Amino acid sequence: MFARLLWKLVRGSRGRLAVALIALTSSAAVSSALLNLDLDIERKLTREFRTLGANVVIAPRQVAEPGEPGAPTAALAASPILMDSDVVLGEVERRRTADVIAAAPYLYLVARASDTPVVVAGTWLDQASKLEPTWRLDGDWITSRADESRCLVGRSVARQFHLAPRGSVELTYLGRTTRLSVAGVVDAGGADDNQIFVNLPVAQKLLAVNRRIEIVELSVSGTAENISRYSAGLRTALPRYEVRPIRQVSEAEGQLLNRTRLLIVSTVILILVLTALCVLATMAALAMERREDVGLMKALGGSISQIVGLFLAEVGVLGAAGGLVGSTAGFALSQWMGLRVFGTSITPRWEVFPLTVALMVVVAMAGALPLRLLGKVKPAVILRGE
Amino acid sequence: MFARLVGESFVRNPRRKILTAAALVVAMAVATATLTVALEVGDRLGREFRSLGANLLITPESDTLPLEIGGVDYRPVDEGAYLPEADLGKLKMIFWRHNILGFTPFLDVPVSIRASREPASKAPVVTLTTLIGTWYEHRVAVPDGTIFKTGASVTHPWWRIEGRWFGDDREECVVGATLAATYPGGLAIGDVIYVRAENADRAQEEPRPLLVRGIVSTGGPEDRSVLVPLRVAQALSGHPGELRQLYLSALSKPADALSERDPSTLTRAEYDRWYCAPYISSISYQIRQVLSGTEVRTIRRVADSEGRILSRVSTLFWIVTLAALLAAALAVAATSAATVLQRRSEIAVMKAIGATNALVGGIFLAEQLMLAISGGAIGFVFGVALARVLGESVFGTPAAPRLVLLPVILGLAALVAMAGSLIPLGRAARVDPAPMLRDE
Repeated sequence: MFARLLWKLVRGSRGRLAVALIALTSSAAVSSALLNLDLDIERKLTREFRTLGANVVIAPRQVAEPGEPGAPTAALAASPILMDSDVVLGEVERRRTADVIAAAPYLYLVARASDTPVVVAGTWLDQASKLEPTWRLDGDWITSRADESRCLVGRSVARQFHLAPRGSVELTYLGRTTRLSVAGVVDAGGADDNQIFVNLPVAQKLLAVNRRIEIVELSVSGTAENISRYSAGLRTALPRYEVRPIRQVSEAEGQLLNRTRLLIVSTVILILVLTALCVLATMAALAMERREDVGLMKALGGSISQIVGLFLAEVGVLGAAGGLVGSTAGFALSQWMGLRVFGTSITPRWEVFPLTVALMVVVAMAGALPLRLLGKVKPAVILRGE
Repeated sequence: MFARLVGESFVRNPRRKILTAAALVVAMAVATATLTVALEVGDRLGREFRSLGANLLITPESDTLPLEIGGVDYRPVDEGAYLPEADLGKLKMIFWRHNILGFTPFLDVPVSIRASREPASKAPVVTLTTLIGTWYEHRVAVPDGTIFKTGASVTHPWWRIEGRWFGDDREECVVGATLAATYPGGLAIGDVIYVRAENADRAQEEPRPLLVRGIVSTGGPEDRSVLVPLRVAQALSGHPGELRQLYLSALSKPADALSERDPSTLTRAEYDRWYCAPYISSISYQIRQVLSGTEVRTIRRVADSEGRILSRVSTLFWIVTLAALLAAALAVAATSAATVLQRRSEIAVMKAIGATNALVGGIFLAEQLMLAISGGAIGFVFGVALARVLGESVFGTPAAPRLVLLPVILGLAALVAMAGSLIPLGRAARVDPAPMLRDE
C-alpha cells in the first residue's frame, strides 16, 4: 500500500521531481569524484614529491675524529668515517619494497683532474635518474652500476675542464690514476654541478678501500608516517648507524597535503549544502502543490506522521537514485580529473559508492524537512478550496 | 507601466520569493568564497612551498670549482672567489623585489674547536669541524632607506633550535645536534668553545671564545657543524665583509614555454612579457643585473618540483571551484524554476486580462533579474566572510576580499536565475488560462 502510494506520488509529479533528481545526481557525481580524488591524492602527491630527491639518509654515527690542529683541510674531506657497505646495502636491499623509488650509496673523495682538485662521488649510477629526477642530462644515462669506464660530470666541472659527452677525463688520487669517458653532463642546479659521478667500485679503487661507503640516500614514497615507519625499521636493523628522514622535504609535503585535502572536503560540504537547498526548493513547491492531497489524506484519517513519512520516503528514494547514478558518473569524472591533473588515472575506491549514496539520502531528507509544515494544513479549509 | 508592474510584483508577496532569494544568497556566497580562495591559491601555495627553502643559489662567477661534500665547502679559505656583503641590499631593489622572501649568506670556515670545561691538566680534545657563518634574523639596509629582515629563519624554516639563536653582533654560536652529542664529554647550552681557523697562516692565532646559545637540528650537514654570525666567520677566515654563497628564496610562477627560452632570442614584446612575469628565470636574470660578477643558479630540485606540483594542485583547485560553481548555478536555477511554477495561476490571471506572452515573460524575467542582483550582492557580502573563514582554515590566513569578483558574481547570479526561469516560463506561455483559473 505504502509502496503503491509512493509510486503514484513519484509518477504524479515527474517534472518537479526531475529537478530535484538532477540536482541530487550531479551533486552525487561531483561529491563522489572529489571524495575519490581526496582518498587518492595522498598517493599521487607524495609520488610527485619524489622529484625532490632523497628523503631518507643513512650515515655513520660519529662525527669528525679528533685530529691534529693545523692539519690540511683536504684531509678532512679525504678521511671521513665510512660504513661497511655489505652490512648497510645488504639491509637496504632486503628492505626494498615498492615504496622505495631509489636507493644509492655514496663515497666521496677529492681527486685531481689535470692538477685541479674536484669532488668525485662514487655511487650507483643506474639509480641516478630515479633518485634525482630533476637532473637535466646532456648525453646518456649510465644504466649499469658495474660500468667502470664511464662517468657523469656536473655542469661546472664540464666547464672547468672543457668536457663534453664522449670526451674523457683522467682522475688521480694519491698516485692512483684512472681514465673515464664522459657519458653525460649533468645540469642539477646545486652542489651536484661541481662533482664527477662515477660508479662505486671506481671510487673505492681510487681510495683503495674495500666495501666501504660514506652515506646511503633513499627516495621513499608515501606519507610522513610511512616514511618514519620505514626509517624506524631501518634504524632497528642498523643500530650502529644513523638513519634520518630529511625534514625539509617531509614537512613541506605534509603541510601541502593537509591543505589540499581540507580544501576538497570543505568544497564537498558546500556542494552538499547547495544540493540540500535545491531539494528544499523543489520540495517546498511540491508541498504547496500537494496541499489538497494532504488535506484529503488527513480527511480520510491519515496521521501527519504517515503523510510526512510518505513524502520523506519519496525524497529518500530520490536521493538513493540520484546517489547511485551520480556516483557511477562520479567515477568517470574522477578518472578524467586524475588524467587532467596528475596525468594518471585515479584508483576507484569502492567505499565512496555507499558513502555517496548515504550522503545523498541524508541531504535529500534534510532538504525535505520543511514538509513538516504540512502538519499545519487544515483539511476542512483545503477541501473547501480556499 | 512595465516598471510599476515589475516593482509591484517584486515588492508584493515576499514569502513567495524568499526561497529563490535564499538560494541566490547562499549559492553566490559559496561562489564568491570559492572563487576568492581559488584566485589566491597559486600565491598561497607558492608561499607554502617556500618552506622547502631557497630556490636560487648565488655564487661568485669567477670561482674555482667548489669542493662541496654534503653541503660543506672544503676549499681552503684563501682559495676561490667571494661575494661582497655590502651589495646584498640591492636585491630588494629589483623589479620583482616583493617576490624575494628572503636570502641567507653562507661562509664556511674549517676550524678546530675545544670546549672550555675540560680540566687544564689533561691535554685538550680538539675536534675538527666546519664553522658556518650565516644570519638567523639579520637586518639588511636596502638602498631605498628601508630595513629588510632576513636570514635562515626565512630560507631554512625547518631548522629547529633548542635554546636560543646567536645574537648577530655577539660572540655566540649554536652547535649542531650531532656534534653536540658526539663531542667527547658533550656540548651543552652555556658552554664556551674555543675556535681556531684551520688555516696554515692563521693557526697560530689565539683561539676565539664563543658562547653556545643553542643546539640546532636541521637534518642536514649543519648538524655536524657550528653555526655562528656571519661576522664571526668573516673575522676568523680573514675575509671581512665577504661571503661564499647566498641562498635566496623567491616566490615564482611555474615555468612554461616562454620562461624556458633563452632571453636573447626573445622578441621585444616577448622579452617584456618575460621580464615582467615572476618566472624563476627572469628573477635570476634581474639578480644578475644588480649583483655583477655573480652566477645565479636555479636549485632545480626545489624549483622544478615546486613548479610541477604547484601547477597540478592549482588545476585541481580550479576544478574543485568549478564544481562548486556548478552546484551553485544548479541550486539557483532549480529554485527560480520552482518559484515560477508556483506562480502559474498568477500568470494565468495576467493572460486572462490580456497580457501577451512577451509581456508576462518580460515581467517575470525583470523580476528575477532584480532578485538576482540583490541576492547576488548580499551573497557577495556573505561570501567575503566565508572566504575569510575558508582561507583561515585552509591556509592559516584569511583570504582578502576581491571587489573584481562582484560584477562576475552578479552576472553569474543574473544568468542562472534567468536560465532557471526560462523553461517554466516557456511552459507557462503554453498554458491555457481558463482551466488554470478553474484550478484544475
